[in-house]
Order: sequence, then structure tokens, then C-alpha cells
Amino acid sequence: MEMSSILFYLLAAATLFFGFRTITVANPIFSALNLALTMITLAGIFFMLDAYFIAGVQLAVYAGAVMVLFVMVLMLFDLSGEARAFSRGMMSGILKVGGVSLFGIIVIATIMGSFSNILVIDSGEAAAGQALVQPTTRDLAVVLFSRYLLAFELLGLLLLVVAVGVVAVSRIKGGTHARD
Amino acid sequence: MYQLVPVLALSVFVALFGLLLVFLASRFGPRTKPSAVKQSSYECGLEVEKSTTTKIPIKYYLTAILFILFDIEIIFMYPWALAFGDFIQAGHGLYIFSAMGVFLAIFVFGLFWEIKSRALDWD
Amino acid sequence: MGTDILEISINFAKMVAIFLLMVQLVPLLVWVERRGSALIQNRLGPNRVGPLGLTQLLADAVKFLTKEEFVPAKSHRFLFYLAPIVALLPAAVAFNAIPLSHPIEVEAFEWLGHTWGPYTFLFQGYEIGIGIVFVLGVSSLAAYALLLAGWASDNKYSLIGALRASAQMISYELALGLSIVGILLVFNTFSFSEMVSQQVGPLSFMFFGQEVSIPFLPNWGIFFQPLGAILLLAAVFAETNRLPFDLPEAEAELVAGYHTEYGGIKMNMFYIGEYGHMLVASALMVTFYFGGYHIPFITPDQINEFFSGRGHGATQASLLTALVLHLSFFAKIAVFLWVFVWVRWTLPRFRYDQLMDLGWKTMLPWALANTIITAILVLMMRSSWS
Repeated sequence: MEMSSILFYLLAAATLFFGFRTITVANPIFSALNLALTMITLAGIFFMLDAYFIAGVQLAVYAGAVMVLFVMVLMLFDLSGEARAFSRGMMSGILKVGGVSLFGIIVIATIMGSFSNILVIDSGEAAAGQALVQPTTRDLAVVLFSRYLLAFELLGLLLLVVAVGVVAVSRIKGGTHARD
Repeated sequence: MYQLVPVLALSVFVALFGLLLVFLASRFGPRTKPSAVKQSSYECGLEVEKSTTTKIPIKYYLTAILFILFDIEIIFMYPWALAFGDFIQAGHGLYIFSAMGVFLAIFVFGLFWEIKSRALDWD
Repeated sequence: MGTDILEISINFAKMVAIFLLMVQLVPLLVWVERRGSALIQNRLGPNRVGPLGLTQLLADAVKFLTKEEFVPAKSHRFLFYLAPIVALLPAAVAFNAIPLSHPIEVEAFEWLGHTWGPYTFLFQGYEIGIGIVFVLGVSSLAAYALLLAGWASDNKYSLIGALRASAQMISYELALGLSIVGILLVFNTFSFSEMVSQQVGPLSFMFFGQEVSIPFLPNWGIFFQPLGAILLLAAVFAETNRLPFDLPEAEAELVAGYHTEYGGIKMNMFYIGEYGHMLVASALMVTFYFGGYHIPFITPDQINEFFSGRGHGATQASLLTALVLHLSFFAKIAVFLWVFVWVRWTLPRFRYDQLMDLGWKTMLPWALANTIITAILVLMMRSSWS
């Protein structure tokens, strides 16, 4: 096997393993930590695909910001009740059934998709893709600020809405930071 | 791909180095009988009263979420700053500046709104 | 990592050497810190063990290794042991991505009946195309070590310390990230080596589309980004959790913060992480604003010619050039490391609300202003105006 395929299988196996642990571990903190590891190994896969900027963003935003927030918040709560609620009882049963059926739908969709021609790239097209110059972060910037400019500006607005919403939610009456 | 191999190799090496240090310390250190008092959490000499799960102000949570939002906005400036020179050289300097200008205006408005609404106050 | 077995093993040995360099700098820095604080506070400091107290470092290392193993009864054993190991990783991985000197060119040579080379060895662990984003991403993972340590210890001081540390780190990461945007606007590259190579020679810039050169100043980033440099320096102080930003381990309130329950080598590993971050921060300051490993007004080619002129072979000359430039890099880093020590023993600690106010209400708006002003200036200066 080639070096790159060995590396890919290693990273993919690690990603799947940590992803699986994320949903099977009872303790929410371990769940979050496993999700963080999943993000890091995903960044590794992006790296392998030469999508360096996306890999860096994956590290800085998902692993370094979003998951830090999750872990931080989970550590603040008394989670023994949650750990019990999610490992047995009605709640857990419903979630398990829901999760398994969702997974089943994804598997069926993937199999059906692979029979239709949506996912299959014919070899001529693949060769043409190989011949193209490696896309760089500069190319990403050019596309982002020309073709997807409107979406980009709207994203800024969306983030503003979320920022205002967070403050509003934190001020709901009875909260620790409510305005009297 | 070839940039990933050395990073992984180094991470594995550092992790093994850390394990070795912890292992060596456990070998060389003196061993004494553990006792309940000795193994208890440090609380400046007092008995441990409550567990660690206490109420923490929601401010920490708010700060963390606001951080994520602003962090995403900042990350978007990186490709912009990278391509800024190229756009100027191609004669589209004003275009790329105003493209980010709108985004920055939203950013600045958001930040000053947060400051003015006292969401960032710690008291 | 390389094409043949020799190149791969040398590259690996190089990474290990850079990591060990980081590790062995820690006791040295601790010594500088203790002697420096003594100097500032007008006392003597450790001076008994060896000349100038230098072998104190060795004694400390032995002491750390022979301390009793201690794990609190109610702690989470696995995470408790994992946290110090995680603390080592981000600093080591980030430090290896920064160029420490000029690449070494090795000509083809015969050895063991085989022709090897020619090789080019970079004087850094690995060159990553997106250097800055990579270092930012990796060092943002440092928050995990503190959170894990704080939570696993099952101690109120530890948990509050970890919480404060992570809230503070993420708050200042914004100002840090934004001040780097200014640097990107000036250099237009993510790669550290390209950034360093743009800082050779005398100060030259575009002034309304015309090239202007000032011969008596080096072409350093600090002259383009003075405000950004100050913001970045302040932000990295907060990121490394050092005074005046060391609230996570404020001993008057929190005993020792997130590592209250740690002792011996495990606590020392947190120290390696902290000093490693100091090293990364100093290296970033030097690379962004102070010309990296370059000596002002002297190009690496000139040094190379100097050595070749003295009868050294091409490989030897390249090696010597790299060593000279490495010394120049370390001299610059040493200045910033001393600034870290100096500030620690000069400024008092902030109050928590002051700390958050400084990060969110002062530094973030200033960093934004810096970005906007830099963008306008770059746009005006570099446009062709014809």
C-alpha cells in the first residue's frame, strides 16, 4: 500500500472510532472530549487532501473554540443525573431507536446513491481534475470574495443576529445576569 | 499530505516522552501507605464540604459564545488579508476593500453593541 | 519527510532536537526567572549549588523525578495523568513550525559506498504552508490541558482556575488573531519563511505607487505594524497565563489554580508547557516584527560568501551560515524571554473584571482599528495612482 493510503486509513479509522465513542460513552464530558478528538483527526484528513486552510480553521474554530466551549460548560454542571438518564430508562431508549434508524437511513441512502450515477465521476473528468493546478488559499479567497460575496456578507449579518440573541437569552428573568 | 507526516510523528514522540516522564516519576518516587486524609482534595486544611459542582455565573458561557462568533469573523479575514495584495495588483483594490468593509462594519457594530449593552461587563 | 533513509532520519532527529531544545530551555528559564526576580527585588536568589547556582537546575530535575506520586482519591485518574501530557503537545508542535535559521544546503557526498544527496535541510521541524493558521490552531488546543487538569483534580480551586484560564485564553485569542490580520495585510503570506525572507535589507515600501527606501533602518515588520506589535505582545502575555495575567493561578485566591493537586514531574510538565508557550510567543514576535533570523543589513548570501572565502566548502559554509543566523535568532528571542521575566516581577496582577475589560473593550477595538487603518494604508500606498 502507498504511504498516503495507509495514513488515510489510519486517520479515517481514528475519526470513526472517536465518533463512535462520542455517542457510546455515558459521561457527557468524555463524549465532548471524544468529539474534540474527532475534530482534530478530521483536520488531519483535510490536511491530507491539501486543504490546508480548511484544516487550520477546523483546528482553530472547531477543536479550539467550539469544543472548548462545550467542555468548559459541561464541566460546570453536576452531570451525574444526566449520565444516569442517558444510559438507561425511557429517554435513552427513544434516543437509541432514533439514532439507529437515522444511521440506517444514511446507510441506505449511501448505497442507493452509489448505484445511481450521482457519486460516480467518470475517469476523463477525474483526469482533468488532476491536471488542474492545486487550489490554494488565495484561490479560495478569490472565489469567496467574488462569486460568494453576498453569502459572505449575509453570514456577517447572521453572526450579528446570533450575538444579539445570545445576550438576550442570557438576560431571561431569573438568570444570574438578569437586569433588574 | 507530506506536511502531515512529521506533525504526526512529532506528536507521537512528545506523547511518548510525556508518558516516559510520568512512568519514571512513578518508579523513582517513594511509596507510602495512602490514607484517607492524605488523599483528600486540598482545601487549605479544612474538611472538604461540598463537591466541586457549584453554581458558576452564566457570564463564562456568554463570553465563550461571543468568542466563537467573533473568532469565526476573524478567521474570515485571513484569506481576505492574504489575497489583498493580489487584488490591488489586479486593479481591484477598492472592490476587495469595500467587500470586507461591509463585513467589518457589521463586526464593528456588533462589538460596540455588545459593549454598550453591558453584555461584556463583569461585576 | 524525505526521499531516502538518511534524509528521513536526519529530519526526524531534527524535530526531536528542537523539542528537546524547548524542554531543556525550561530549567534555564526558571533559573533566569529566579535570578532575575532576585535582581529586581534586590536579593540574591539561588547561588549555592554550583557556579551562580546553575547546577540548581540539575538538582531540581532530580528532585522532581523522585517526588512521591500523588493522586487525589476522588480525582479522575485517567484524565489526571493525561492532562500534563496534553500540556506538552501544543507548544512542541507549534514551536517546530517556526523557522529558527536559514536552510542548510548539503552537496552530494559519498558515504558507505553510496552517493547521498544533494539535500536541503530546513532549520525547523517542518515547513507548513499555512504556518500562521496552523500555529494559531494548535496553540488554541492548549486550553484542553488546563480544563482537563482542573476538572480531573476534583478540587474547587482547580476547577475555578481552569475556568478562569480558559475564559481568559479565549478572550485574548480574539485580539491575538486580529493583530495578526495586520501582519497578513503587510506580507500577504501565511508562510513563516516567506515572511522572514521579505524582511531582509533596508526598510523599503511603496509610497503612493512609488518605491521608497530608507537605508538606515532594517526592513522589519515593526515599522509597518507598531500598534499590532504592542497588541500581539500583550495578548501573548495573557495566552501564556503569566503575570500580570496570571489569574488562573493567583495564589492568594486559588492556591495554585488548575495545578493545585499536581506535584513532582507532572507539575513540571505544566511548566514545560507554559515556558514552551513563552518560547513560541517570543519566536512569533521575532518572526513577525523583528526580521526573524536575519541580521540587519546583512543577507545570508553575504555570510555564506564570507565563509566560502575563508576556504570552507559549500556544505560547511552553508552550515556555518545557518549557525550564525541561528545565534542571531536566539539573541532576539532572548530579549523577549527577558521581557517576559521582567514584566512578571514588575507589574501587579489585574482584577478579573479589569482583565476582561482590557481584552474585550480595549484591545479588541484597537486591534480592529489597526486592521482597518492598515488596510486603508496598504490600499492607498500600493495602488498605482496613474
